Amino acid sequence: MLNAMEKVRMLLGRSLCLLFLTGLFHPEILAQSRVLPEKTAKQILEAHCFACHGAAKMSGLDLRQRDTLLKGGSRGVAVVPGKAESSLLYKVVSGGGELRMPPGKDPLSEADQASLRDWINQGALWEEQSGKRVEPSWWAFREPLRRAVPDVKDKRWISNPIDNFILLTLDSKSLKPASPASKSTLVRRAYFDLWGLPPTPEQVKRFIEDSSPDAYARLIDELLASSRYGELWGRHWLDVVRYADTGGFETDIYYPDAWRYRDYVIKSFNEDKPYDRFVQEQIAGDELWPDTLELEGSYMMPKRKLEHLEARIATGLYTLGPVLHESGLDGEYLRSERLADMADTTGAVFLGLTMGCARCHDHKFDPIPQKDYYRMQAIFAGSQEKEIPIVDEMRVFDYKQSFPKLLAVDDLRAAVERIRDQARKRIIERLEAGLPREVVEANRVPSEKRSPKEIDLASEYETAIGGIKEGAIDAEYTQLEKQERHSLILKIGETYLKTPKRIPTASVLGHADMTPDVYVAKRGDFRNKGDKVGAGFPSVLCDGNDIAESSARPFVPQRRKEFALWLTQTDHPLTARVMVNRLWQGHFGRGIVGTANDFGTQGDPPSHPELLDWLAVEFVERGWSMKAMHRLIMLSNTYQMSNQYDSQNANIDAENHYVWRMNRRRIEAEILRDALLSVSGKLNLKMGGPPVIPPLSSEELAGLKDASQWPVSLDSAEHTRRGVYLYVKRSFRLPMFETFDLPESTFSCARRDTTNVAPQALALLNNEFVVKQAGEFAHRLIREVGNSVEAWIERGWWLGLGRSPSESERQKALQYFREKKETQQAQFSGTAGKPVPPQSLKEFCLMLINLNEFIYID
Amino acid sequence: METSISTCGCQPTPQIHSRRNFLERLGSGFGMLALSYLMDRENLLASPATSTTLVNPFAPRSSHFPAKAKSVIFLFMHGGASHVDTFDPKPVLQRLDGQKTPPSLSNVMLQFTKASEAPLMASRRTFKKYGQSGIEVSDLFENVAQHVDDLAVIRSCHHDGFTHSIALNMMNAGSLRLGFPSMGSWVVYGLGTEGQNLPAYIVMLQGSTKAGPPVYGSGFLPAMYQGTVLRTEGSPLLNIKPPSGLNLQEQRGMLDMLKWYNEKHMETRADDSNLSARIAAYELAFRMQTNAPEMTDLAKETAATRKLYGIDEEVSGDFGTKCLLARRMVERGVRFIQIYSGSGNGPDWDGHNLCDKNHQKMARQVDKPIAGLLTDLKQRGLLESTLVIWGGDFGRTPMTDGNANGGVGGGRDHNPYGFTVWMAGGGIQGGKVIGATDEIGLRAVKDPVHVHDLHATILALLGLDDKKLTYLFQGRNFRLTDVGGDNNLAGQLLKA
Repeated sequence: MLNAMEKVRMLLGRSLCLLFLTGLFHPEILAQSRVLPEKTAKQILEAHCFACHGAAKMSGLDLRQRDTLLKGGSRGVAVVPGKAESSLLYKVVSGGGELRMPPGKDPLSEADQASLRDWINQGALWEEQSGKRVEPSWWAFREPLRRAVPDVKDKRWISNPIDNFILLTLDSKSLKPASPASKSTLVRRAYFDLWGLPPTPEQVKRFIEDSSPDAYARLIDELLASSRYGELWGRHWLDVVRYADTGGFETDIYYPDAWRYRDYVIKSFNEDKPYDRFVQEQIAGDELWPDTLELEGSYMMPKRKLEHLEARIATGLYTLGPVLHESGLDGEYLRSERLADMADTTGAVFLGLTMGCARCHDHKFDPIPQKDYYRMQAIFAGSQEKEIPIVDEMRVFDYKQSFPKLLAVDDLRAAVERIRDQARKRIIERLEAGLPREVVEANRVPSEKRSPKEIDLASEYETAIGGIKEGAIDAEYTQLEKQERHSLILKIGETYLKTPKRIPTASVLGHADMTPDVYVAKRGDFRNKGDKVGAGFPSVLCDGNDIAESSARPFVPQRRKEFALWLTQTDHPLTARVMVNRLWQGHFGRGIVGTANDFGTQGDPPSHPELLDWLAVEFVERGWSMKAMHRLIMLSNTYQMSNQYDSQNANIDAENHYVWRMNRRRIEAEILRDALLSVSGKLNLKMGGPPVIPPLSSEELAGLKDASQWPVSLDSAEHTRRGVYLYVKRSFRLPMFETFDLPESTFSCARRDTTNVAPQALALLNNEFVVKQAGEFAHRLIREVGNSVEAWIERGWWLGLGRSPSESERQKALQYFREKKETQQAQFSGTAGKPVPPQSLKEFCLMLINLNEFIYID
Repeated sequence: METSISTCGCQPTPQIHSRRNFLERLGSGFGMLALSYLMDRENLLASPATSTTLVNPFAPRSSHFPAKAKSVIFLFMHGGASHVDTFDPKPVLQRLDGQKTPPSLSNVMLQFTKASEAPLMASRRTFKKYGQSGIEVSDLFENVAQHVDDLAVIRSCHHDGFTHSIALNMMNAGSLRLGFPSMGSWVVYGLGTEGQNLPAYIVMLQGSTKAGPPVYGSGFLPAMYQGTVLRTEGSPLLNIKPPSGLNLQEQRGMLDMLKWYNEKHMETRADDSNLSARIAAYELAFRMQTNAPEMTDLAKETAATRKLYGIDEEVSGDFGTKCLLARRMVERGVRFIQIYSGSGNGPDWDGHNLCDKNHQKMARQVDKPIAGLLTDLKQRGLLESTLVIWGGDFGRTPMTDGNANGGVGGGRDHNPYGFTVWMAGGGIQGGKVIGATDEIGLRAVKDPVHVHDLHATILALLGLDDKKLTYLFQGRNFRLTDVGGDNNLAGQLLKA
């Protein structure tokens, strides 16, 4: 934790940011100034232009002071005092030229245009008010303020303040809230929303039969207390941070320790780690909680060191991105790609901004100049991936002490290779004997010295001898060689078993030996260096100063630390809003801001701006507790609505923008797999650890470059673990997951696509894994309810859909079984009497997991 | 600077709040179109069965302007075929065999080779003039050469990636980076497909590419737009065969029951088009199970046809089969087909070692099948509406690659700075040469055509405007051609 002094410094300290975000430039004060009968030119500019042409200085133009205003920007002089018609500023707002401002928004009112014209014609004078910062005009860049919870007419509908905000909007749009969801709908929804698993029949029944008034609240608490919660919401987070276990591209390198970051995320959600701390750890765990350098000689990790270790593992976020590295590529190019990944990811994940747009030029719609993009890169410029041991030093010593045992393995291996070379040499000698002498000789000429004729001859040699197959070498071994080789290989195995195990390591972000300077890359081209920039935060959100080097001792680099502390200030305009919006999206399928990674002017405007602010403030005040927010959201009547259709409402708001009902959602790829395993009874709930590689059919493996890149996990019990623990390979997504819209893991994914296409149907009908689970489901039915069609139907419905079949549904199923000519009894085979389900039952189970109701949650 | 900004896609987007999130992000043109489908269906709530067709993301869509080509067959020489040994003869290179690259031409970055030190290597191939146009083609492609009057040979292609995976990304998706949609995905996203009973975008591989599935992936577009791998052995498509112990008829019985329950479920949820779309997807899946095996069954093709494609010869059998399958796909309305020659896990055109030998071997596998494909498409009247493209990762260098790989010698390095792509069909005027490389074939110098331009051209032949075919992602309207594509050749290539 931060010590008290640090906290004080953090709150009071360095930035003007704080100053402008609070007191002086309160939006209310601004709002008042805007309704003055006659707006001054400065007020007009302030309202419409300062966001980009203020601190952000887009196109080099700063309209905040008269001298910079007269100086103009990269497009030339902005204002010619006395001559409005020749002033670029007036031309662009009056639509007189090709360039129009403000971009992507409505033009200024005629009155405002006239005011500006008159003002320029009268000499463009204004009173300077120095030292005053300007409140950004875009809502998302202003501090969220707690609004009074609004009064509504129908107080009976209110369960908590969320409902006030929602109902107020519904009333104002003449929309009626949908009826409450039934208990069975609600319990299924809650399980899928918090665990990503279907409730068991017993869990459903227990909730339905519990008539106490706090039954639902207790259910939510129970679900939040389970580790299943972190697995689901951790996976949501992994989408946002573009998690994968490999680096992509041709090399697609394996990240041996990426899973530690995945486990860290799951643990953090389960522990309800305050979000501010969660952010700080991921961005700057190493700078805020550096390794203590304790060299305790025991087998216990010093406690503080261990705590700090967890925070450092969090920075793994920046070590598992896509990595391009191929021979011959320019090092500076590769570095620029990595820094771009860091800046783009940070912008999207934590700020909810499309920083990437400013890589090539000033952002066209958000006040993010290109310079700010590279200032963000500079925050990461001195950082570098490090592989660190995560055990105490004595264990590292033990490993190194036993290292000669590994050398023995190397030695044995070399002996095996010598035998192979011997055999290969004999083959070559035999083949050479059959070749013309000149061919053999040409091959002996060093390849760079060969004449064209020698190259031709050497190529004959290559054709004859080049591709000696391993099989040919195997056949060449003498009896003695075979024996020798065999015993060496056995010995390798035995010796290897005695070697020390690999020291567990983690991949974290640390610091490079030097911190290179960062330059604006003109047009995004790293070779085209522009101005040198320092590390800093987006200028529209602060004073635009560079982060200073720490003077504190002991010295720890602090670019990322400063950034993380700035991000998690309680009044930061974006951090809390962006995260509560993600939580809302996770429960409703759509955020209050529909574009969860874009809170800029091109993103969707919030459907409920006051509610978003209220939630953001509440989030911070509840200690950034995500579980508190889940509870709050799920206990609202808004969340507990059914998704019943209403044509009158639909005429007004077809998209359910204003949340007059719950949205129906299709479960995500991993959840679908988890749900199949859950109903088949095969789900293995073991948590954590290295990625599991499940078996795939040969046709599924066809897209893989090299089948040895898919070493299936040996222990088959591993194969049925939750989807979040499966291997995420950038160059090869698990086919089943890909079919069900698993996002590509190059960029942050704000929200998954939901498509409905035939390959999904084919996968759920014919895929080996799915069919196997349907079979297991059938076995389970016989195991649990014996040999009765009626019981199969009843139990099947409960397991698959969490309810009893209706009478007509039951009749239809009975008819199906009747029509099947085969016996409706399970056969019992073998001495153990293991039941063999009839084909009709397996098909019935397959049908159940293909139902819309199985995959769409009301 | 202004021009680059105005074309980079950072444009304001209309605020459309449509039902499905992928539709929200459609570029302006198709977004409105898709939205109108949705508007239509709002009035059709009473008959959900009809409305499902309206939300089919693969329904054929009209193009931005009249299209010449309806389908594309992209023949991809994995590893990069040498242009100076195939379609771009270089007499000066022949004269300078064994000499050092002139300093004026050697300032270039290559993967293994230091261009200023590596000796130039003449082509061992014989070039001959073919057809009325008299375009020169080497003996590696003597069969394709018979069609030279149907080819537009673009000798001045270039891009910026000189290693395989980034070049594969560039040629297929217009970006060196990962995560971008491939051309086929863009095309299907833009146009949908004519044949509803087969995948819209099919890829035939020999193994895998060096960059894996992302090369035919959908990047940030919805996953349904990715290329579907079709296998020529075993079951053709992933999950296309019902599990053992179940025939199609039995499965139909199960599907009828499924449909009954799903429709029952919809009785109280009639407004939700996702549910009806999913019911429709099952019907399509069932049809695919019959249609895919029918499409891949070559039993009804005549012996003459098999011969034409070189199917019965061992060397060309595999590629020939794929070319014939491509024709059958075109007949069945598949929009975009890609066939790879060579792979990342087997032999390919990557001639670092004995380039000439390598190319002789690889060309024998594809020359006859490609020529057969062109003949067959033409005789069936399909060539006019089918754009055939031949290309690869990049071309190869005129100098040897300095044996940096420790090979026998006689290798050529990667060369993205100048190489050849040819096109045929799709309404283009054949017998044309566009652009030229320098005297040794290192760089495109006359009328250079960047890959973005090539992509813009291909889209244009399909009736798509590369500037309008956009998708909003991370605050930007992305397109296949990034900030380029201004040198669209379609006007130049089309028949008068």
